[in-house]
Amino acid sequence: MSHFQAASGSCVCLPPIKGFLETSFIDWPGKLCAILFVGGCNFRCPFCHNHPLVLAPEGMETIDFEEIVSRLAARKKWLAGVCISGGEPTLSPGLPTMIARLKAEGWAIKLDTNGSRPEVLAQLLADNLLDMVAMDVKAVLIQDKYERCTGCPVDLGAIQKSIDLLTHSGIAHEFRMTVAPGLHTEEEIAAWVRQFDRSRSRLALQNFNPRTTLDALFEKEQGFSPEIFSRISAMVA
Amino acid sequence: MGVVMPLKAETAQARTHQVVNEDSTDIALFVRSSQDDMIGWNRQRIVDALLRETFIDRDTAEKISRDIEVTIQAGKVKTITGPLIREMVNAKLLEMGLEEARRMHTRLGVPLYDVDQLLVQHNKENANVPHGPEATNLTLAEGIKKEYALLHVFTPDVADAHLSGDLHLHDLGFIDRPYCSGQSLEYIKKFGLNLPHALSMAKPAKHAEVLLAHMVKFAASLQSHFAGAIGWDAINLFYAPYLEELSDDGVKQLAQMMIYEFSQQAVARGGQAIFSDVNIYWEVPKHFVDVPAIGPGGVYTGKTYGEYEKQAQRFAWALFEVYKEGDAAGRPFFFPKPLVHITEKFFKTDGHMDFLHHICEVASVKGNTYFVFDRGDTAKISECCRLSFKLEASDLEDAKQPWKMRYSALQNITINLPRLAFQAQGDDTKLFLLLTEKLQLAAKAHGQKKKFIERLMSLGKGGPLSLLAMDLDGEPYLKLHRCSYLIGMVGLNELIRVHLGQELHESDESIKFGLKVIAHMNIVCSKLAEAMDMKFVLEQTPAESTAFRFAKLDLAHFNTEAEKVVQGNRGKGEVYYSNSTLFNVGANMSPISRVEKEGLFHPLIEAGSITHIWLGEAQPDKEALAGFVINVFKHTQNDQIAFSPEFTACIACGKTSRGLSESCPYCQSKDVDGITRITGYFTKISSWNKGKLGELHDRYRNIDRFNN
Amino acid sequence: MTLFTKDDCVLCAQLKKQFDLSAMDVQVEVLDNNDAGALAHLAWHGLVERARKTLPILVLDDSSALHEFPHIESRLLERAARCGVAARRPGKQAGCESGSCALR
Repeated sequence: MSHFQAASGSCVCLPPIKGFLETSFIDWPGKLCAILFVGGCNFRCPFCHNHPLVLAPEGMETIDFEEIVSRLAARKKWLAGVCISGGEPTLSPGLPTMIARLKAEGWAIKLDTNGSRPEVLAQLLADNLLDMVAMDVKAVLIQDKYERCTGCPVDLGAIQKSIDLLTHSGIAHEFRMTVAPGLHTEEEIAAWVRQFDRSRSRLALQNFNPRTTLDALFEKEQGFSPEIFSRISAMVA
Repeated sequence: MGVVMPLKAETAQARTHQVVNEDSTDIALFVRSSQDDMIGWNRQRIVDALLRETFIDRDTAEKISRDIEVTIQAGKVKTITGPLIREMVNAKLLEMGLEEARRMHTRLGVPLYDVDQLLVQHNKENANVPHGPEATNLTLAEGIKKEYALLHVFTPDVADAHLSGDLHLHDLGFIDRPYCSGQSLEYIKKFGLNLPHALSMAKPAKHAEVLLAHMVKFAASLQSHFAGAIGWDAINLFYAPYLEELSDDGVKQLAQMMIYEFSQQAVARGGQAIFSDVNIYWEVPKHFVDVPAIGPGGVYTGKTYGEYEKQAQRFAWALFEVYKEGDAAGRPFFFPKPLVHITEKFFKTDGHMDFLHHICEVASVKGNTYFVFDRGDTAKISECCRLSFKLEASDLEDAKQPWKMRYSALQNITINLPRLAFQAQGDDTKLFLLLTEKLQLAAKAHGQKKKFIERLMSLGKGGPLSLLAMDLDGEPYLKLHRCSYLIGMVGLNELIRVHLGQELHESDESIKFGLKVIAHMNIVCSKLAEAMDMKFVLEQTPAESTAFRFAKLDLAHFNTEAEKVVQGNRGKGEVYYSNSTLFNVGANMSPISRVEKEGLFHPLIEAGSITHIWLGEAQPDKEALAGFVINVFKHTQNDQIAFSPEFTACIACGKTSRGLSESCPYCQSKDVDGITRITGYFTKISSWNKGKLGELHDRYRNIDRFNN
Repeated sequence: MTLFTKDDCVLCAQLKKQFDLSAMDVQVEVLDNNDAGALAHLAWHGLVERARKTLPILVLDDSSALHEFPHIESRLLERAARCGVAARRPGKQAGCESGSCALR
């Protein structure tokens, strides 16, 4: 986190875009979208696949935002919107400016967030800058269980605030969790599901995949077996 | 050689008998003849063979036979084989400079070592050939027919061009068959299963299941008369008149039977599943709307096909339900490949969005669906991997009597494009000149195959191609005068890289030059077509093994140039050229760019093209794919797309999981095989050749999000 | 601006007669059996299928294309006026019954 603040300094410049995928079939339910990956994160989830963005974003080349905007313009007919992911985009003071710029270009916006900055989320919602939000709720809201998943101290009050904000936002949103046998029991997953209002919020579970992970030790972990995972997924179906 | 020749030879032998006896040497030597026989040594047999098969005179033949006898005597062996004697004679002919006679006297066969290897090892030239006694029969027969073709059907310049890798004559082992066949169900609906030399004859089917049985048997007969794909036009529509009595469950059952029949036909030729395509339409294609429908018993139902839209849709829907489920282990069905035609009328037909979501779900979950784009008013029938035919005026006339709709491409020849760039050394004029020469040579080769097939067809119903000569509707099943001759290409991307220093995806200039190369091929083909009165059409060669073969040959013969541009892993021997006009499979291109830019080439390649989108383990929403497919139709020139997922099939527990893994996620067994699309069809990765393995490793799966 | 034409296309011939295209800086591409460059140029603009239905086609500098004859004609008239090049008044539009006003 300190890296990130040092890198962005005090200027309200645009968030550092460290990755760009022009077409994704899977990041916005039912839609084709582009994704921007913003560098820097305040969590250290051991299972994170995007860890270069978290640990060493300054070592990655920053992609020029205007170049992306013009590339996207040529894809107007194809893409339903732009997804802003990370890292944790809400850490960047320039996020609202960036979204406003994309909005001005006519793009619908989806934000991926860990919910640790409810005040940023509230402002974006109030300014009508978001069309869809996917928030990672990493575990049931119990301090030690949550922190085992984030790899760092977490203000659960902030997480709860973000959940409430989204639940009552009236915009499309999704709460999601990456599950692994080493981190979650089936009972905990059931409890996790129960804490949401299913009539308002879409839920999604993702099975842990031991590819490249932030904590190298985690690459030796397994996800749930396909049988168990399909039983677990039935809880959110 | 026909039946007459041996008789003649015997007469010749009888005539010479008394002369022979006088100076025949008495050698205690047995010869293992090629007629399954141990016979005593008889020098005269050499003379007979030479006189029968070549144009040399009797005195020379006698002299050769005596010389051979002396050599054999000196060897002091007890037995010798006929083939060895023949090769000794050939050596003698060579020594005497009688090259023409040596060529005519050639023996085609296979070394012992090779046969041993073949019976034990797996032939990977075609991933659709499993390993087994039938498969090795096929390979052995193909080997001999291939040699025959190169020596006897094609002139030496053509054969040399093939052997050196300037071009590739596909399916030489099937020299006595046309390449591929596309037809409608109407032929067997109208005439029943009435094949020449069959043990029994069946009248037109009265029930849907019987029609299916006829279709499967007919497809198997066609497979043994064609080298490649067997395609069926508008399959759901032509079944429709048989479906009215069936419940939805009944239709689903029929769909299931059809897909299982074709995917389990690995008991036919060479143990090879019938490479089969079924073309499916949601709407009733315009050219069939007013056509009188043939129903049970082969009689007209009194309705037109336009009135069967709902039945046809029911069957189309059921087929994709079966594809979605996959086989008993949840694997995708490999055959028949379903090609759904997306047309202007598709979007005007009720229920099209539901159907589009349905087939997109199959594309995402199992990958089977091929989306074929027929824009404007063009009607097309697709056949092989990418081969499709635009229906021309004469075809549309045939559409009124759909049993007449049968199409064939007689042969497929692929040109090695990167090699032209090595030879041209940066000179545009030379490059296009060389390309023209190769196209002329390919046209010449096509002419030679045509002549050969004409010769076989001229023997009519008593000849080897009796099935193709049958004329139940007043003309032979194979309409030779309407055949196409395919000319394909491999490695446009590498040609561009050699010639311009950049690959196709790296600059607009590369694409523009690439278009010029293909436009040139297109233009030369149409000129040759006019000159030779043969229909030459460009196609994107599937090049399952050709992309590997050309790369290997160029590394051997143009090493310095080739090693800079071949793709894959040279250390492991997994080398390849990019297929046809495809861009580098590993290029970091969004699916949109790939579909747009590869699609620019498609209108110039009249026999059909495709863009592959490799999904890897991602399983997109059907709505996202459907939106993409609609945009491809509306905003690009792309001819056909397919989405290819990857699977891991566990041999230990029999379960199938998504993505390519080294061990089974269910039981952790390492005894697994991957499944994905090789070129135009799904297969097990363990059966792939090295070049395609190299390509698999390089495929861009749209997941590389940052440069780390 | 590029005008895609064919030698035996009566509509193309009419435009060529009507306008001094080179003075108007309009590139003329002739699609015949000897010019791979012209065909490749057509393919680059994604217009091969379009040309198989109808010619001539006018491709504007922003890569958009006009294929309806009256639109092409009025755009060329505009261009001629802007370049100060004289153009003949549009006559009666030639008919194309032979079907030759399309790529083969």
